[in-house]
Amino acid sequence: MSEAKIRLEGIGKTFELPGVSLLVVDDLSLEIRAGEFLAIVGPSGCGKTTVLNMLAGLERPSTGTMMLDGRAIEGPGAERGVMFQDYALFPWQTVQGNIGFGLRFGPAGRDLSRSEQDARVARVIELVGLRGSETKYPHQLSGGMRQRVALARLVANEPDILLMDEPLAALDAQTRMILQDELLRIWGQDRPAAARRTVVFITHAIDEAVFLADRVVVLSSHPGRLKRIVDIDLPRPRDDSTRKSAAFAELGQSIWELIRDEAYRATMR
Amino acid sequence: MMRAPYMVIRVATRLTVPVLLLVLWQALAMASGSARMPRPSAVLAAGLALLASGDLLAGLATSLGRVFAGFFLASAVAVPLGIVMGSVRPVERNLDPLVESFRPVAAIAILPLVILWLGTGSIAAVVIVAYAAFFPVLINTIAGVKRIEPNLMRAATTMGVPAITRMRVVLLPAALPSILVGMRIGLGIAWTAIIAAELAVGAKAGSSGGIGQMMFVFYAYSVELNGIVVCMIAVGLVALCLDWVLRAGLTWAVPWSRG
Repeated sequence: MSEAKIRLEGIGKTFELPGVSLLVVDDLSLEIRAGEFLAIVGPSGCGKTTVLNMLAGLERPSTGTMMLDGRAIEGPGAERGVMFQDYALFPWQTVQGNIGFGLRFGPAGRDLSRSEQDARVARVIELVGLRGSETKYPHQLSGGMRQRVALARLVANEPDILLMDEPLAALDAQTRMILQDELLRIWGQDRPAAARRTVVFITHAIDEAVFLADRVVVLSSHPGRLKRIVDIDLPRPRDDSTRKSAAFAELGQSIWELIRDEAYRATMR
Repeated sequence: MMRAPYMVIRVATRLTVPVLLLVLWQALAMASGSARMPRPSAVLAAGLALLASGDLLAGLATSLGRVFAGFFLASAVAVPLGIVMGSVRPVERNLDPLVESFRPVAAIAILPLVILWLGTGSIAAVVIVAYAAFFPVLINTIAGVKRIEPNLMRAATTMGVPAITRMRVVLLPAALPSILVGMRIGLGIAWTAIIAAELAVGAKAGSSGGIGQMMFVFYAYSVELNGIVVCMIAVGLVALCLDWVLRAGLTWAVPWSRG
């Protein structure tokens, strides 16, 4: 496999609340390889989102080191694009305004002329199937379409690393499967591994993690600790036949068994 | 074919109560026989006369000019200050007690001081209006900045948008609906304040002009009740128009929140 893109060593995160300090992530060490699709799953309270926020540079770890391409992660950077769980679309921007936001105001579009930016926005709009909705505002869109806008905004900036926090969680089952397929296409599952971008994908849905990822990181909860890393050796490109395969079901089942007890405890509490 | 009668019915139902009140007012005034009781018919006549002479419109224009001057002055200070107070905690902690202790002091209560310092002219009136409009704009700007969805700022940060640019392209548009609501309230309060200020200032020299002073002259010198009522109606109509224009402006300026 390829070299480590991101290296986490002994990462811990404690939130200091009035009167209590809350350990959310404990001693997490992990290597994320260039071009891999890495999913992180775990029951609620396993600190998935906190891990992602630390990778994004939005939160600092309390202990441990995070390296990206050999350099310490000190804060946010445009080479790490984030797709937020609530999409974080700018309500005053149209679909194309949202998608082109990073190109216009961030470093992603620094070397592009205005018309080159527009061309890239148009191409990405095509890619995620939003043609015809360019001038709509987010409040005029369905949940699935908003999600596509957020995905398109992430892709338009062409970040090295795509950090995605439960991007498909709010969608109905059909839309979700369609967008899983599209996500793999956009990531480049048809391309050679060297031409793919690195994806870190947070989800609570095991089947989603198995379907999308090269490796699934399973976390335990309270505090979040690394439980196991499961290699997903399902062949690519993956499609509906993957979802029907016995191997797919088995992998999902084995991950479910890893976290079942904790998931029950979290639900019954 | 159904349309015309339907319109007639709709207008008729809306006008029923006002017309009944006018009729009742006229009847009571005639029955009382008192000279201090203005009658709708006489008010209408006085209003037409004041319109024809141009006095009414000139008075309204003077007052409106002061209101806009004071309102823009207030907004020019309150919006930037509110953005800073809303986004920088230490600044807010320091200034909030000051704001909250001045806020309940009505504009009319600072009038004596303003007159002593600035006299009874337009500058004093503008200052009073600015004071009145300042607080609603400030409070709503602060609230708007504080209510910003934190992920919007984070999204811009992760896209590498520099902090100064973020203020302009995220913070400001995100807070804009709230800022505009504050400006709408502020303009309404400014209009109320100018009438009060001119009424009070009018007692001194009678040289300040404006619709409030016109009312004062009717009250203190000519005891012209119909004229006072005309002014009251004019003030109400202008307030209605101002609010209508601002509402329209709000919808135009924030197309993304158009339901």
